[in-house]
Amino acid sequence: MKQFAIALVATTLPLAAAAQVESYNVDPYHTVMYWETDHLGFATMRGRFDKPTGKFAIDRAAKTATLEIVIETKTLSTGDPDRDARPRTRDEHLRTPDFFNVAEFPTMTYKSTGVKFQGDDLDVVEGNLTLLGVTKPVQLKIVRWKCGPDPRTQGKRYQCGGNATGTFKRSDFGMKFGIGPIGDDVTLWMSFYGFRQ
Amino acid sequence: MSKKLAACLLAAALPLSAGAAPEAYTVDPYHSFPYFEADHFGFAWIRGRFDRMAGKFTIDTAARTGAVELTIQTTSVTTGDNERGVRPRSRDEHLRTPDFFNVAEFPSMSFLGKTTKWSGDAPAVIDGQLTLLGVTKPLTLTVIHWKCGPDPRTQGKRQMCGGNFAGSLRRSDFGMQFMVPAVGDEVKLWIGIEAFRN
Repeated sequence: MKQFAIALVATTLPLAAAAQVESYNVDPYHTVMYWETDHLGFATMRGRFDKPTGKFAIDRAAKTATLEIVIETKTLSTGDPDRDARPRTRDEHLRTPDFFNVAEFPTMTYKSTGVKFQGDDLDVVEGNLTLLGVTKPVQLKIVRWKCGPDPRTQGKRYQCGGNATGTFKRSDFGMKFGIGPIGDDVTLWMSFYGFRQ
Repeated sequence: MSKKLAACLLAAALPLSAGAAPEAYTVDPYHSFPYFEADHFGFAWIRGRFDRMAGKFTIDTAARTGAVELTIQTTSVTTGDNERGVRPRSRDEHLRTPDFFNVAEFPSMSFLGKTTKWSGDAPAVIDGQLTLLGVTKPLTLTVIHWKCGPDPRTQGKRQMCGGNFAGSLRRSDFGMQFMVPAVGDEVKLWIGIEAFRN
């Protein structure tokens, strides 16, 4: 019987661990992707993409996680929406084939390939960014991470949220317009939230 | 002309030439934006931007002096949530109410400052006063990047300066107390700015 019990425990343990995978849906209202790049060596220009969709799953015991985010490129904004006396705004220019080519590539996506934990917290996400149809690895460093009951629902809903940063060269994705005067190095900064399903 | 008189003239002329060095600049509204960040329920920092800022500054690199004046339209606040969907209001709409920026009563916020520290030929610290919700309090901006030179877009015909500033404030100091501390009291500021010489 003792031997049988040990065999039961041994087979049950992996099952219990497998049952600890938690699934989260990205909160589009608090998940915002910002980027920044140098402008002529003078100031840094920032922009953002609004309302991404996505999901992530995390197994705290196994310290594994997966993440997938889809961004609509046309949602980009840099604070320059009005033409005034100019033929086009910067936001309009950024949507052309010079930059994000939103007509041909309406979405950019990020899919994780692996994660690293620091203690109980997610620390680094390794993954692939697909931009302009080109897929290249981009690492996201989790600079803030917290999971707990959502205080806005009297704790009925469970959420994880935080901030992440990353960098890439836009030329790696074929976005070469104005490189030199306009920086090739792009820094990402995002806020993210997910609600547990 | 005696040697003494010439020396005297030179001495008198020097401060004048230094005094003549201040240059006046007008902020380029298409490349100048204030951003802010505040903690959201202890989970994430949430960022926002004002799309409309006007301003001007004078700078005297030789004398190591400068003065800046910025006016930000509070109505232009955006955080990436401007559509209601099925909700009664978006976050951007909420930020414009008296709970936060009260844009109907206070359509602008302003900053008046002077350079107080320099690092070589670049300003390093700007000390000034921020007026927000009609309340005026000291605000220090650290210059984290600064460059002046010809604008490459005009084959160098136009002279410009630009850079990035950072600072922080407590919004409760200005009477903006809604949901402190669940929505953070400490607000981080970051301003990217470019300006053309008049």
